[in-house]
Amino acid sequence: MISAIRMIYKATLFLIVAMNLHAQVTFNEQFNYSKKLYDEERYFDAVTEFKRLSFFDKADRFAFEVNKYLGLCYKQGAKFSDAIFHFTMAERNAITVDDVFNTKIEIIKVNILRRSTGRALVLLDSLYYDIRFKEKKDDVSYWRGWAYIFADDWENASLSFESVSPDHKLKAFADSIKNEFYNVNLATVLSVFIPGAGQFYTGEYISGLISLGWNMLWGYLTISAFVDDRVFDGFMIGSLLWWRFYTGNLQNAEKFAVEKNLNITNDALRYLKNDYSGLKP
Amino acid sequence: MFKIPAIFFLISFFIYPQSDSINFHSPGNKKLFADYLFCEGDYLRAVGEYKAIRDVIKNDTVDYKIILCYSYLNIPELLNNARMNENFNKKSPFKYDIEYAFVKNDFINSSLIFYKNYTVDSVSFPVNSIYYRSFIKLRMCSYLFYDRIPIPQKDFLLPFDDFEKEKISSFYDWIKAPPYKSTAIAGILSAVVPGSGKMYVGEWGDGVTAFIVTGLLAFLAYDNFRAGHNTRAWIFTGLGAFFYAGNIYGSVASAQIFNARIDFEFEEGLNLFLQQKNYFMPEYDFCN
Repeated sequence: MISAIRMIYKATLFLIVAMNLHAQVTFNEQFNYSKKLYDEERYFDAVTEFKRLSFFDKADRFAFEVNKYLGLCYKQGAKFSDAIFHFTMAERNAITVDDVFNTKIEIIKVNILRRSTGRALVLLDSLYYDIRFKEKKDDVSYWRGWAYIFADDWENASLSFESVSPDHKLKAFADSIKNEFYNVNLATVLSVFIPGAGQFYTGEYISGLISLGWNMLWGYLTISAFVDDRVFDGFMIGSLLWWRFYTGNLQNAEKFAVEKNLNITNDALRYLKNDYSGLKP
Repeated sequence: MFKIPAIFFLISFFIYPQSDSINFHSPGNKKLFADYLFCEGDYLRAVGEYKAIRDVIKNDTVDYKIILCYSYLNIPELLNNARMNENFNKKSPFKYDIEYAFVKNDFINSSLIFYKNYTVDSVSFPVNSIYYRSFIKLRMCSYLFYDRIPIPQKDFLLPFDDFEKEKISSFYDWIKAPPYKSTAIAGILSAVVPGSGKMYVGEWGDGVTAFIVTGLLAFLAYDNFRAGHNTRAWIFTGLGAFFYAGNIYGSVASAQIFNARIDFEFEEGLNLFLQQKNYFMPEYDFCN
């Protein structure tokens, strides 16, 4: 009888010790593990572990942090809609005013990245006029500048950065980009008066010379046909050839200006992405 | 006398951590989490969790959900791989569901292979079961992709439910009498009246332009011959002939493009219908 009780006692003890040894993890440990995955840029695994924590965290103690990191992970994976969903959930669970502000800024940053500039500007306006964030107007202006950069509106970008600080580094940068741009209308108008001049203005000298040559040739033949009273020939050469090359010259000048501006924008964004050390979306 | 206090002491260790700790990776919790991911539509993560517990928890639902995840992910290679490498319980209540998922995958992979290779003997579904009926529906639909329907409409529609019959019937009618434009008629019309072939295909703008350009060139050629400007007249004749021939060729090409477009639209419509029906796959509501 006694040996049976001893056996039961030993078995109970073994069971309890074994259950205690089972891999219990605290919520903090799970959070730290998930965050470590995020820090290691293993975003897929990080999302899985943050979601696991969120699923078992019935008291929503980690709701803010988990949703914030889920938003960041999805943002890194360019899943912008998912990112905005989780940042919104984080905002709902934010406790401090700073947390609310920061998550709203994260939502704005995602909108900037996915180029829904209109939405970003609306959100920035609401932050700007929110009295809770009256001390953070510079931050709002800073991100407004970025929204304009991504919308290729360097003029307004410069103004926004200027309102943060007149000698803001990004203001000077936006101004320099603005000055580099070619005026598309000017390129077209130049080509209206002198075929090929718009191409010269955008630095496409060979194309400008070719355009000028073709227009001079067909213009000469058209005019000489009319001068010789060969009206039909004049109409045919003028309409089928000269007019064709003249309008082509205008389209070409506009296309070059647009392309060059696009290259300038892309170079600027590349610089900001790779070399700018300040806060970025 | 210390035995009872010792047990209580150890039990207190066991109970206390429950308030702030949990075994996130116990098979039971993994399954709960996987079910949550499954219902959330995060199938890639769900399948990872299910596979991690599959060897520990022998559960037919888990097996089926793995297949469902692959199916929803719509990556045929994953399902093919699962069919080759995974052993599923032959007595599982979901065995026909799993088999149907593979059949569906084959259909998506290549409806031509399905059309050629699958017969009622290729599957093990009991006759009169919902799986068998769904399979017959899928088989009927495979005919629609290859415009050889060896069955009269009445028999063709037989396996379909009443609410599906109208749509399927329209597909059937399309296959039997597709609204093609004849390339020969388009060419002949343009040969008789330049541009009319284009108009027949529905390209009214091109048709009118072709008529005017060809007519103008023909008039210029005639007028120059009449005025004795033979060189100029031959240039316009050449140009007119070029436009005339080009217009005939263009009308035939337009009819071909028109036919290719409606073929494409038909296949798109049929695929969309099948996707909406989930290829007639019997479904369970695991999430409510």
